[in-house]
Amino acid sequence: MIMLKVESVTKRFGGLVALRNVSMSVNKNEIFGIIGPNGSGKTTLFNVISGVLRPDEGKVIFEDKDITHMRPSDRVKLGIARTFQTIRVFPYMPVYWNVMVTASSVYSDSRIAKARVSWALTITGLLGEAGELAGKLTPYKLKMLEFARCLVANPKLIMLDEPFAGLSPEEIERLIGIILKLRENGLTFIIIEHKLKYLMRIADRIMALSLGEKMAEGKPDEVARHPKVIEAYIGVT
Amino acid sequence: MFRQKTVADKVRENLLGIIVLLILALLPMRANDFLLDTLVRTYIFVILAVTLDFFSGTTGYLNLGHSFIFGLSAYLTGILYVYLKIPTEIAILGAGLLGTFGSLALLLPSLRVRGVYFAILSLLYPIIFIGIVTTQPFSLYLGGEGGLRIKQLFLDIARKLPPTERLAFLHNAYYYLSFILMVASFIVLYKLAYNEFGFKLRSIGQDEELSEAAGVNTTNMKIKGFLLSAVFASYAGALYAGMRPPITVDFVNTGSILLPTLTAMIVGGAGTIIGPAIAAFLLTLLYQYLWGLVGLWRTVAYMIILLAFVLIRPQGIFFDIYLRIRRLVDKVIG
Repeated sequence: MIMLKVESVTKRFGGLVALRNVSMSVNKNEIFGIIGPNGSGKTTLFNVISGVLRPDEGKVIFEDKDITHMRPSDRVKLGIARTFQTIRVFPYMPVYWNVMVTASSVYSDSRIAKARVSWALTITGLLGEAGELAGKLTPYKLKMLEFARCLVANPKLIMLDEPFAGLSPEEIERLIGIILKLRENGLTFIIIEHKLKYLMRIADRIMALSLGEKMAEGKPDEVARHPKVIEAYIGVT
Repeated sequence: MFRQKTVADKVRENLLGIIVLLILALLPMRANDFLLDTLVRTYIFVILAVTLDFFSGTTGYLNLGHSFIFGLSAYLTGILYVYLKIPTEIAILGAGLLGTFGSLALLLPSLRVRGVYFAILSLLYPIIFIGIVTTQPFSLYLGGEGGLRIKQLFLDIARKLPPTERLAFLHNAYYYLSFILMVASFIVLYKLAYNEFGFKLRSIGQDEELSEAAGVNTTNMKIKGFLLSAVFASYAGALYAGMRPPITVDFVNTGSILLPTLTAMIVGGAGTIIGPAIAAFLLTLLYQYLWGLVGLWRTVAYMIILLAFVLIRPQGIFFDIYLRIRRLVDKVIG
């Protein structure tokens, strides 16, 4: 069953075409990877799906609903959560409130919101730091905080922008463990990642972008062997 | 963690505040008229500081047109009185509400811009307002430089009293009205600033794009936050107009209304609500009493003191002092 569909999206910044006629579809309960060299339009695509940017052409459809012109905050309420490439939290707010801001926006009942926050902080191992300012956390805990912020909204689709960047191998394994566990529980993931070794391992399908265009799409090993992908990454054919 | 708080718990937590409010509430029994008069002005500035801080201190959208909201309601009070023949007491109630919605004239066009551009845009509003009020043909209807004359608040009641009691009655009535409005604005905005509502506003101030991506409808929150700030500032303006006619452009003046408010917010600790409240209270009193100490040098002395405060603790010295006192009190009462 198709959960998210991106239909021939084009996004220009002045003269630069960041995305050219890109289409993709993500199935429910799938881990969908996006790879591509720097500047290939991966993050722009994320911004279009999460609503931070509006595409110049094309459509974004989530669970058969056209959300192309919906506010980002409304998309969160529909079940689309995301993280950013560089870690972004509210540094001068306690960890608890970083997550509660989302919870209280999604749930009108504050008791449910509080319960959801406790749950999200427990899963991410942040319960002990709930009262600390987010700006004081270590990089791994910051990633976990972003993750907790996504989870607390009870999302159907989580989009992670380079979740493994800056983490040690052990920390990556821990994060992969959480992602796989959540997928077992029915969540869908779209993951942008440069650390291909890890992405290839967990992704069901991968799409490769280059200069704003789709180069290849398919099973991880098919994409890895694709001549265009090898060319884009290594620069020789 | 989830234990229900008892009344005794709440009293203990807020002991400091309760004591301060009790002293201020009982003050008219002992204070002279000059002090009461000064305190009325002081309370109005506390309201202005708290309201400015509630929106600007949390969201980071520096509203340099705060005096526009204050002055707009003051003029609306005058207009309702002069042209619709509505008694001052009722005109104040109506003008506060009208002024709140009128203040959206400042916010709505500014929603499209951020940061310093919002500050500059908001700064233009009081200037435009003063320009309209003092220029023909509007100056003919709005009193021009001389101001709009209205009947002072509660004057009819005072006239029924024996002549010796009239002034004391007015002083006490004005004192308590402004005191109540101040306490109400403080409690409402302080509570909101530290619950979900306030933290949503703070999230906008720290990273607006992230705030939206985290599920906060930022446009909606900015409008709500601004309206809550405006409603108390607006009633402060309408009430002050009723207590201190005639209504002149002094009510809108950036220098005399916005500047003390803004400095109170900065040296109080932006976004803390209580810091700016304490700062506005002490600084307004300080400014009044500096006259007796240094005479004509008052403004210079005042500004040098402010400079010193900012240099000693740029994040706001009064919130720091408050936290220290609070910790001390908590220790004493265990």
